[in-house]
Amino acid sequence: MSDLDQSRPDPALDQSALERRHAVGAYFRLERWEIPAVPDGGPFPTIGGRAPLDRHQRGAGGGLRTGALLTSIDSLGGLLCGLSVQPEWIVTTSLMATVARLSQVGPLRFHGRVLRRGRSAVVAALDVVDEGAADQAVASAVLTCAVLDPGDMDLRFARPAIVPMPPPDPDPLAPEEFFRIEPGTGPVTRLELADHLRNPWGILHGGAVAMLADVASCRAVSSQRDHAHGAVAAADTVLHYLRPIKVGPVEARCRVLGGSTGRTVVRVAIHDVGNDDRLATVGTVTVLDV
Amino acid sequence: MAFGGYPPARHFLSDLGMEAEVTSETTASVRIRATPHVTGPGGSVRAGVLATLVDVVGGSAALRALHPDWMATADLTLQVVQPVVGPWVEARATVLRRGRTTLVVEALVFNLDEDGADLVDPDGRAAPVAWASMTFAVLPGRDSTPVRDLSEELPVRWAMTGAGLDQPVTEVLGITVVDAADGVVSLPVAEYLRNSFGAVQGGVMATIGEVAATAMLGGPDGPDGEPVVVTDLQVAYLALGRVGPIVSRSKRLAGDGPAGGSVVVELVDQGADDRLTTVVNARAVPVGSMAAGHP
Repeated sequence: MSDLDQSRPDPALDQSALERRHAVGAYFRLERWEIPAVPDGGPFPTIGGRAPLDRHQRGAGGGLRTGALLTSIDSLGGLLCGLSVQPEWIVTTSLMATVARLSQVGPLRFHGRVLRRGRSAVVAALDVVDEGAADQAVASAVLTCAVLDPGDMDLRFARPAIVPMPPPDPDPLAPEEFFRIEPGTGPVTRLELADHLRNPWGILHGGAVAMLADVASCRAVSSQRDHAHGAVAAADTVLHYLRPIKVGPVEARCRVLGGSTGRTVVRVAIHDVGNDDRLATVGTVTVLDV
Repeated sequence: MAFGGYPPARHFLSDLGMEAEVTSETTASVRIRATPHVTGPGGSVRAGVLATLVDVVGGSAALRALHPDWMATADLTLQVVQPVVGPWVEARATVLRRGRTTLVVEALVFNLDEDGADLVDPDGRAAPVAWASMTFAVLPGRDSTPVRDLSEELPVRWAMTGAGLDQPVTEVLGITVVDAADGVVSLPVAEYLRNSFGAVQGGVMATIGEVAATAMLGGPDGPDGEPVVVTDLQVAYLALGRVGPIVSRSKRLAGDGPAGGSVVVELVDQGADDRLTTVVNARAVPVGSMAAGHP
């Protein structure tokens, strides 16, 4: 486990909640560092991040799988927005990401900044560069969070918040295994809601939703084609987190809408099956031929 | 919206000739004609015009769910998946969630024939030609809230009819390409394109982003020398653009996907201390690859 509090161990902290807070970030070995606000630079901190490109996290495009990239964007953007609104906290409500390059070399470096702090929402932009390719800009995202009363959640952070890069796992799980995504083909893909996939609010991590959308949309496109057509990979993604996912299992239902040469747009609707099949997330994934 | 005297007769929305219908408590449709003045290279309706269309249909679908509150568009996304050629183009919107502070709408866009019937594929199915989503921020109702003249009975219909466009939409709006290679474009703020808050209408902002991205990626002087068409827009509305001119700052991302590319466009209000008003992520493809048909 790696977490923001390693530099300030506090036995009073709820360890299970801390592990939940950081299980997903640790899996992706995401390094994070808060950059405090500077005079004349606006009232908010910015955030930096770095993720290695471990082999098991590479997708068909050669670089980091987009679901993994979006998980890091969600983790960093969520942390930035949360730190910017303390003592309140946040929950992600929408994510819009353009992923222009799928064959990144890695590691990837992230920089996030607050674009707007409204009455009830905070908006952040995150830019991603490929350190292994002369810092080429490869992706950009806008994350919107709702500002909420955290209630009893423990939100004590050492500031500036810094998380070193966790060491590599000698026997890493594939993302489908870590995220408990069931094997399958066709337009419907299922995820089992395991405890380590819950965020500090106790609901399914937004990054897990993004990974499910990635896997499900690629399966939906592949299942419409013969094998001779070649591989596909998820790229640009839009996700509206409408309602929290609390129960599971979680089902992503895809509709292939169409596209252009080498680009297929898939609508993804994610339902919390065990919670009256409630519609929880809606969005699109742009699937590219690679 | 055509409420409280907005939009005025001489207005961009009126000149697009929008015909709207609120079809239920949470759904609406709005159609326009795919005239040559709103289409881009390749004959498909421009992404910025489609963003304007879905913004209006999203707001229309939200009207009843929001009552007595009002709304402002917080974000908008659009993905074009088939050529949008008309002769009529209709966006149909559904409210997905009405929360305390936000409301989320999904919209599908269809080509209609001259009589307003869905155009169908060889299998007899009407397939959407674009998908869109919007988040609206809920604004508490105030005395200044535009008066909504919504009858109790459904459907409710209205039309925004102006003189129509007499030249290409980007020229009517007054968008100028300052530096194509760097994706710098400029737009003076005029009454013709203000929204009910007195700021540049959200669809117009999306159109500026579309023009900037197109110029950077494949305009006549673009680095790739091949005409491109913007198919995907992700727009975040951060602040109102009231003073002008609205000027773009563009950054091209390094791509390896299908030809075309991705650009991040920031729109600042130059007359308001370069305040950042809007961020537009745009993806474009060569004109020919859109017409190829898919899947």
